[in-house]
Amino acid sequence: MVVGDESSVNDLWRTALGEIELSVGQANFAAWFKGTDLIDIQAGVVHIAVSNIFSKSQFEKKFNSLVLETLQKHRSDILSVRYVIKGSKPRKAASDTSPLMDAVRDHNSKKPSESPQRKTVSSGLNHRYTFNNFIVGSSNDLAYAACQAVAVNPGTKYNPLFLYGGVGLGKTHLAQAVGNEVVRKNPSAKVLYINSETFVNEFLDSIRFKKKGFSTKYREVDVLIVDDMQFIAGKEKTQEEFFHTFNALHQSNKQLIITSDKPPKNIPTLTERMRSRFEWGMTIDIQLPDFETRCAILDTKASESGVSVGRETIEYLANNIKTNIRELEGALNQLLAFAEMRNIEPDLQTAAGLLGNSRATRPSHLTPKQVVDRTAKHFQIEVTDIKSPKRDKYIVVPRQIAMYLLRSELHLSFPRIAGELGRKDHTTAIHSVEKIEKAIKLDFIIREQVAEIKEKLYV
Amino acid sequence: MRVTVTQENLHKALSVVSRVAGSKASLPVLGNILLKTENNRLVLAATNLEIAITQNIGAKVISEGSITIPARLLSDFIANLPKTNIDLRVEGVKLHIEANSYSSVINGLASDEFPSLPAIESLKKLTVDTSDFKRAISQTILCASNDDTRPVLTGVLCHCFEGALYMAATDGYRLAERKVVKTELEIHALVPASTLSEVARVIPEDCDSIEMTFDDDQVLYRIGDIELTSRLIEGKFPDYRQLIPNETEIHANLDRSDFVRITKIASLFAKESGGSVTISADSVKKILSIHSVASQLGENTSEANAEVDQDGTVSLNSRYLIDALGCFSDASIQFGFSGKLAPCVITDNKSNSEYKHIVMPLRS
Repeated sequence: MVVGDESSVNDLWRTALGEIELSVGQANFAAWFKGTDLIDIQAGVVHIAVSNIFSKSQFEKKFNSLVLETLQKHRSDILSVRYVIKGSKPRKAASDTSPLMDAVRDHNSKKPSESPQRKTVSSGLNHRYTFNNFIVGSSNDLAYAACQAVAVNPGTKYNPLFLYGGVGLGKTHLAQAVGNEVVRKNPSAKVLYINSETFVNEFLDSIRFKKKGFSTKYREVDVLIVDDMQFIAGKEKTQEEFFHTFNALHQSNKQLIITSDKPPKNIPTLTERMRSRFEWGMTIDIQLPDFETRCAILDTKASESGVSVGRETIEYLANNIKTNIRELEGALNQLLAFAEMRNIEPDLQTAAGLLGNSRATRPSHLTPKQVVDRTAKHFQIEVTDIKSPKRDKYIVVPRQIAMYLLRSELHLSFPRIAGELGRKDHTTAIHSVEKIEKAIKLDFIIREQVAEIKEKLYV
Repeated sequence: MRVTVTQENLHKALSVVSRVAGSKASLPVLGNILLKTENNRLVLAATNLEIAITQNIGAKVISEGSITIPARLLSDFIANLPKTNIDLRVEGVKLHIEANSYSSVINGLASDEFPSLPAIESLKKLTVDTSDFKRAISQTILCASNDDTRPVLTGVLCHCFEGALYMAATDGYRLAERKVVKTELEIHALVPASTLSEVARVIPEDCDSIEMTFDDDQVLYRIGDIELTSRLIEGKFPDYRQLIPNETEIHANLDRSDFVRITKIASLFAKESGGSVTISADSVKKILSIHSVASQLGENTSEANAEVDQDGTVSLNSRYLIDALGCFSDASIQFGFSGKLAPCVITDNKSNSEYKHIVMPLRS
């Protein structure tokens, strides 16, 4: 409850200062009252900003009654004065425990209690991860859409939702965004986010110390998010416990979201019944982000920190870090911190200097030969075969993939691509690239294979 | 008020507190020292509204009371007295001082004009070893900026992470980070560098440990009978840990005194170029060489034996390098860098290095 608008509040303080100057004298006034501001009046409590802890102490102990009396002369509804240090926010003084103050405080604290923070503190969710700040690109739009669908109707649409993809591509972000969205829509929903390791540890503790309540903790939630499921592999008893939790939740239509770095079928030592259950709902992979997505991520991050970073610099970073968004953001943070410290613009030269140091080990230039060799090696065929005129299916597909990679990763021209693979006609290259582009969207196996080769190219 | 103290005690206490009392302060009472009796001891206090120092000394208290006295005159007068007992007597706003055959009357101000000093109530308390803390101060404050337009850089960040208290300072060109003491507390305080240099100055020789208490706005250092309270700097310190490279490409391990010598020699020829010297590491000849050019005077190349794992060149400000090397006491140190633009890291070549000094190269 702010009484009066800003100008009348300022006038009040100015009038009060005029009177105070007369009673404390010039020197005292200059030393203590110059530069003070009246910030606001809330429920009869006036907040005055002073320069530092010494002024605060002086005001509280020596000038408080003078200030209060002078203010009360002009505004009879003023009950007390609080002093805060400039630059710091007004905070609730815990030392003030008079019943009147408690009442005022309770009254004031009613409003902010609506904030969604209340419940999720214990849920393990991080509020920074929302759908709004997730950058969608062609590599993750399917996962994004599925997660949004789940957030709207938890437990009904895709259950379980299994997200997988490489390190730092946004699995955790999406999974947590679902949790945050569900809580935002329905603050009473119970959402629990855990790392699979936490699950393992708690399970072990429950066995060792014969703790009760382990299974109920997990079985009472509305949405259970388990991150990095691959760590549960090989731990059979834990898998069994998780299996029962899974069944209990699934049967009562509670949503499960699971993330992993591999698809269920590629996690060794995952028991068959777990695997089939994971594949029951929806299994989606998150691919490496393309150049445009990486730029968009950097743009968003930079504007979140309120700094404008030039296009050149953004493109330089996006070009140099391709496989991991966490690393990408790290490089940007490093650049921004450096620029802040030096008080300079985060320009291309600075970025180049900093990156040069952290990224020296990464080959910055791929050659067409590397791409072709890698592809051939991945499919266990000979490079000579890939370049030969043979048209057996087991050679044609790898050849087309190689062409696609030459186009997407190295941006080679179509005639050049044809040349690299011993074709005369560049329309073959055009056709192949288009075919794989389409296949990536439709064919799971092709998508997997392309992603794996890409990953190897940049390791 | 009437007390008797020894000249030695009073002189020592005045030299601790009087430096804080400002001569150019807008408020006359800030140029004064507060004298008051408390629990049969005499308390002396001074403040400049950024920091406040109080010290209590043993005294024979005949009657209680208090007064403030101009700092300069009082400490100069007491310093010149012989080692004897001194009688202090307050009458109105005058202080009568008598010692053997010397007697004077100094006009003061009433003690209720003296600012009330902030009290601190906080559980964020930790104790550090005096000599180690003194060293940590000298290793960090030289990197703090004295540019008042960027107040956050004029402070030393005292913060906790990974179970320890760290102190860090940077002026934008160099950076020092020092691990101070293990603690489970959560502290994040930006202490003015001037406060820490005052702390280092007042530490008496016979004091083994210092107790620090932090709250959101202030910090208190309790050093034996001395209490030093300071405001903290408001604002956000740069996320400096992002700037410390995890690893550098080129490492040169060498004798510290050799390194200091060649840097000092090179700096003689670097005055024209603002201190710029070029350091080259040669992995074949196993040397680190420093080259500097002064177009008027001539030029210089100095070399020192070093274990070098890769070749490389970097340009630095020799003054920063000399400062940095002065922060180490080890016989051998490691100088790490990666290319002409990335930060250089100077450490003591131990696996659990407690102190890191980062210097930015000059763009050349």
